[in-house]
Amino acid sequence: MNFAFNEEQRSLGETVGQLLSDFPALTAPDLSREQDDDAWNALAELGLFSLLVPEENDGVGLSLVDVALSVEALGAGLASPLVASTLIATELVKRFGTDAQKDALFGPLATGELKVAIAYTERGKGTDPEKLACAISGGCLSGTKIAVAGADAADRLLVVARNNDQASLAFVETGAAGVTVRQQDDLDPSAALCEVAFDGVEIAADALLGGGASDAPVNALLDLAATVYSGLTIGIANRMLETTVEYAKTREQFGKAIGSFQSIKHRCADMAVLVEAGRATSYFAFWNCAEDSAERAQTASAAKAYCADIARDACNEAIQIHGGMGFTWEMALHRYLRRAKVLESAFGNPAWHYRRVHAEAVAGREADATACRDAA
Amino acid sequence: MDFNYTPEENAFRMDLRKWLADALPKGWGETVFEPEEEEARYLFRRDWDRKLASGGWTGINWPVEYGGRGATLVERAIFAEEMARARAPESLNIIGQNLAGPTILHFGTEAQKKRFLPKIISSEEIWAQGFSEPNAGSDLASVRTRAERKGDKFIVNGQKIWTSFAQYSQWCFALVRTDPDAPKHKGISFLLIDMNSPGVSIRPLRQISGESEFNETFFDDVEVPAENLVGDLNDGWRIAMTTLAYERGPEDCLARQIRFKRELDSLIDVAGAMPMDDGVVSDDPGVQEDLGRAIVEIDAMRLVALRSFSRFLNGEERGPDASIIKLYWSHAAQRMNEKAIDILGAPGLLTGEDPEAVARGSFGMSYLQSKAFTIYSGSSEIQRNIIGERLLGLPR
Ligand SMILES: Cc1cc2nc3c(=O)[nH]c(=O)nc-3n(C[C@H](O)[C@H](O)[C@H](O)COP(=O)(O)OP(=O)(O)OC[C@H]3O[C@@H](n4cnc5c(N)ncnc54)[C@H](O)[C@@H]3O)c2cc1C
Repeated sequence: MNFAFNEEQRSLGETVGQLLSDFPALTAPDLSREQDDDAWNALAELGLFSLLVPEENDGVGLSLVDVALSVEALGAGLASPLVASTLIATELVKRFGTDAQKDALFGPLATGELKVAIAYTERGKGTDPEKLACAISGGCLSGTKIAVAGADAADRLLVVARNNDQASLAFVETGAAGVTVRQQDDLDPSAALCEVAFDGVEIAADALLGGGASDAPVNALLDLAATVYSGLTIGIANRMLETTVEYAKTREQFGKAIGSFQSIKHRCADMAVLVEAGRATSYFAFWNCAEDSAERAQTASAAKAYCADIARDACNEAIQIHGGMGFTWEMALHRYLRRAKVLESAFGNPAWHYRRVHAEAVAGREADATACRDAA
Repeated sequence: MDFNYTPEENAFRMDLRKWLADALPKGWGETVFEPEEEEARYLFRRDWDRKLASGGWTGINWPVEYGGRGATLVERAIFAEEMARARAPESLNIIGQNLAGPTILHFGTEAQKKRFLPKIISSEEIWAQGFSEPNAGSDLASVRTRAERKGDKFIVNGQKIWTSFAQYSQWCFALVRTDPDAPKHKGISFLLIDMNSPGVSIRPLRQISGESEFNETFFDDVEVPAENLVGDLNDGWRIAMTTLAYERGPEDCLARQIRFKRELDSLIDVAGAMPMDDGVVSDDPGVQEDLGRAIVEIDAMRLVALRSFSRFLNGEERGPDASIIKLYWSHAAQRMNEKAIDILGAPGLLTGEDPEAVARGSFGMSYLQSKAFTIYSGSSEIQRNIIGERLLGLPR
C-alpha cells in the first residue's frame, strides 16, 4: 500500500501546470477562449493526449493514476473542459473500443488532432443514464443534449443514448448531417456549453463504443468523468487556497497583514484541511478507477460530490477574504467561481452522487453480509 | 500509488481476521454489546485490551524487543481496517498505547523502555495524561504543578484537571515545572508518576453525557524517583510536542475511525429498517444524501491518515500536518453524530433506559460525547492557529 505519487507523476503534473501558465488568457479576467487552441497544441506537443493510449497503439500506456496530478493542474489552470473530455474518451476507447475503433481513433487522439466533447445532460432529465431521452432507433439518433462543454470546437461527440433499451455510447462527428450545435449563453462562456440537437443522425454500427453490447461503457463513463472532474475541481480549490493565503499575507489593514486576524487565518486553515480531505478522496477514486475495483462507483461518486462541495466553499471563501478586490472583474476570481459551478453540475450534481454513494455502500454491506454468512 | 497488498500483508490480514472471529464474544455487535454501566464498560474495554495483547495485537508496530511485533505502518493500517470490519470494541489504554508508549520509545532510557513498554502492551498498566491544569489548557506551557529535586527524588505538588481515566490508571505522565524562573517553555519537565504514590488523589468530574471519564488529579508532596524523568531536565516541552504529534496523528485517527465507521454503519442499517410512512427512513432522498456525505467524510478520515502514513514511509517527519488530521476527524465525526439524531427524529432522542430506544440509545450518547472531540487533544482553534501559522505561513 502506498498513497503517494512518484517522481514522474509529480513532475508531469508540474509540467502541465507550468505549461498552462504560459497562456494567461485561460485565467485572465475576460472570459475569452483566444488561447484555447494554443494551449491545446502545447499540451498535444507535450504528449498529454498520448499518455493514456496503450503502447501497442503507439501511445505511452500510462494509467489514470499517472495523470491524476496533471488533471488537477488542468483544473487549476482553467484549461478547456475539452482537454478533460478528450482524455476521458481516450480511456473509454482503451477499455471498450473494438479493434477497428482503436485503430481508427488512437492515432488522431494521441496527437491531439481529435477533440472529443461528451454529450450527456438533457433538459428535464436527471443523471440516471437509463432515463435519458436521446435514443437511436432504426440506426438513427434523435434528441437534444445541453451543456455539452466545447461541442462547438470538438471534432467528435461521445453521446449517451439509448439503443435497444440500453444506455450506450455513440461517436458522432460534429459535422455529420442532422447535427446542430449552438453555443449557449452561460455562466462560464470559457467552458463553452453547447446545445446539440440530433435529428435522425445516422449511426453506423461501428460508431457504438464496444459495439453497443452492454451498458458497461456508460457506467464507466459516469465513473471516469466523476473522477476526472473531481480532479479538476480540487485543482480549483487548491488554487483558491494558495491565492487567498498569499493575499492574506500581503494585504494590510489596521497596520497588520489580514492573515494575522484569527477569523481570516482560521478560515484559511479550514480551507487547507478540506483541500487535503478532497485530494485524498479524489486520488483514491483515481486509483479505484484505474484498477476497475469493486469500489469504483462509490469512490468516484464520493470524489465528484465532495470535491465539488469543497471547490464551491473555497471559491466563496476566496472572494470573501479578498474583500472588495475579490468582487472585482480584474481580480479574476470569478473565473474560478464560474468554472467550479459548471463542473459541479456536469455528470451529476453533488446531491445525486451522495445518494449514489449511499446506495453503493448499502449494496456493499449486503454483499459483505452474504459473504460472511456463506463463509460461516 | 498502490492499494494492493503483498502476500505477507494479506496473510497478516487473514491472521487477524481469524483471530478476531474467535476472540470476539458470539453475537458481538448484533446481540451482544458493551455493558451499559460506565465502570463495567471501562473494565470490559480493559479486558478487551488484555485479550488483544494475549494474541499479540497491541503495540503492533513497536519493536519486538519491547513486546511489539515490529509491524509496518501498512500493517497498522490493515489492523485498523480489520478492527473496523469486526466492529471491535474500543480500548481503555489509549493513552498508554498511543501517547505514553511512543513518547517513551522516542525519548526514554533503555531502562524506562524495558520497565514500561511491555506493561503498556499487555495493559497490565493503564495510563493517564497529566498535561492540562485549571489555568493551563490551550496555553499548556503555563503549567504550574511544581517538581522540586530532593536527592534522588522529585517532590511534586499541584493540580491537574480533565485527566481522563485517572481512576483506572496505574501511571500518569505529567508536565511539571522544574524551573520557575526560566521562560515558560524552558522550565518544564516530563515526569512519569505512579498513581499509587502517597499524596496522589483524584476527584471524578461529571461530563455533559453524565459520565465521569475525566477527573481532577491532585499531587500533594508526591515523591517521584528521579529515574522517572523522561529526557533532560527542563526539556519537557519538546518531548510534549512529540506526545501531541502522536495524540493528533494518523494512528490515533485510524483507531477512532473504527468507532465512527461502526456508528455510521449502524445508522445506515437503522435508517434502512426503521419504518417511515409507507417505507423506511432512508427512502427519503434527503436522508440518502446526508448519509452519503457522512460516508464520504468518514472514509476521508481514513484516507487522510493513510496519506500521512505514506509521507512518513517516504521519509518525511511528523509535523504540523497532524493538526489537519485532528481538525478533520473531530468535526467530521461531530457532524455524523449530529446527523444521526436528525435523521432518526424523535426515536433517536430516546435514551437506553427507554423501552422504545433505538440501538440502546447509543446515538444520543455518542452525540453528547462528540462535543469533546473539538476540545481535547488541542481545541479546533488551536489546531487552526497551528495550520495557519506553521503550515500556511500566515503571520501571528
Ligand atoms: C473529554 C475530555 C478529556 C480530556 N482529557 C484530558 C487528559 O486526559 N489529560 C489532559 O491533560 N487534558 C485532557 N483534556 C483537556 C483538554 O486538553 C483541554 O480542555 C483543552 O486543551 C482546552 O483547554 P481548556 O479546557 O483550558 O480551554 P481554554 O484553553 O480555556 O479554551 C477555551 C476556549 O478558548 C479558545 N482559545 C484558547 N486559546 C485560544 C487562542 N490562542 N486562540 C483562539 N482561541 C483560543 C479555545 O479553543 C476554547 O474554545 C480533556 C478534555 C476533555 C473535554
